[in-house]
Amino acid sequence: MKIIEVTVSPKGETRIETKGFAGGECRRASRSMEAALGVRASEQLTTEFYQQSSVRQSLKEGQA
Amino acid sequence: MSHIVQIQTQVRDATAVDAACSRLGLPPPVQRTAKLFSSTATGLTVQLPEWTYPVVFDVATGDVKFDNYNGRWGQQQELDRFLQAYACEKAKIEARKKGHTVSEQTLADGSIKLTIQVAGGAA
Repeated sequence: MKIIEVTVSPKGETRIETKGFAGGECRRASRSMEAALGVRASEQLTTEFYQQSSVRQSLKEGQA
Repeated sequence: MSHIVQIQTQVRDATAVDAACSRLGLPPPVQRTAKLFSSTATGLTVQLPEWTYPVVFDVATGDVKFDNYNGRWGQQQELDRFLQAYACEKAKIEARKKGHTVSEQTLADGSIKLTIQVAGGAA
């Protein structure tokens, strides 16, 4: 299941977290929400992002 | 999880401002020129509780103008509360535009968490 979690602090600061997306798909999924809410202050790619990217890379290498 | 982004909220949607006022039980926003002690500002004005002068949002640029005299003429907490309500309403509007399902939960620290289930598994 693909989920976008938006958490707004009592000071109005927003954090967007994507779950269940493969590789860079998560960036595309949250981009419109980011643009709608304001300006990006920081971005953090999690372990899962790299794991899913490297799985794809391994698959490509295996096919070659 | 795979990706975390921190956003500095900017008020740029009049519909979401209206929804935030309604959510907090504030009078509806009014587009006008407002007096801010010794100056004036034009935009979408919101009257926060116990604030002497309104907060003026320029939704075209995201600029916010107010004069609360370092808290003497209005508590910062009220503006923060408004920005939180605005961000929640704006996120819900955007999610629903795309056909996503949204659920809302208030956390122990006062944060509000929106869980957006992406329609059809696609963004």
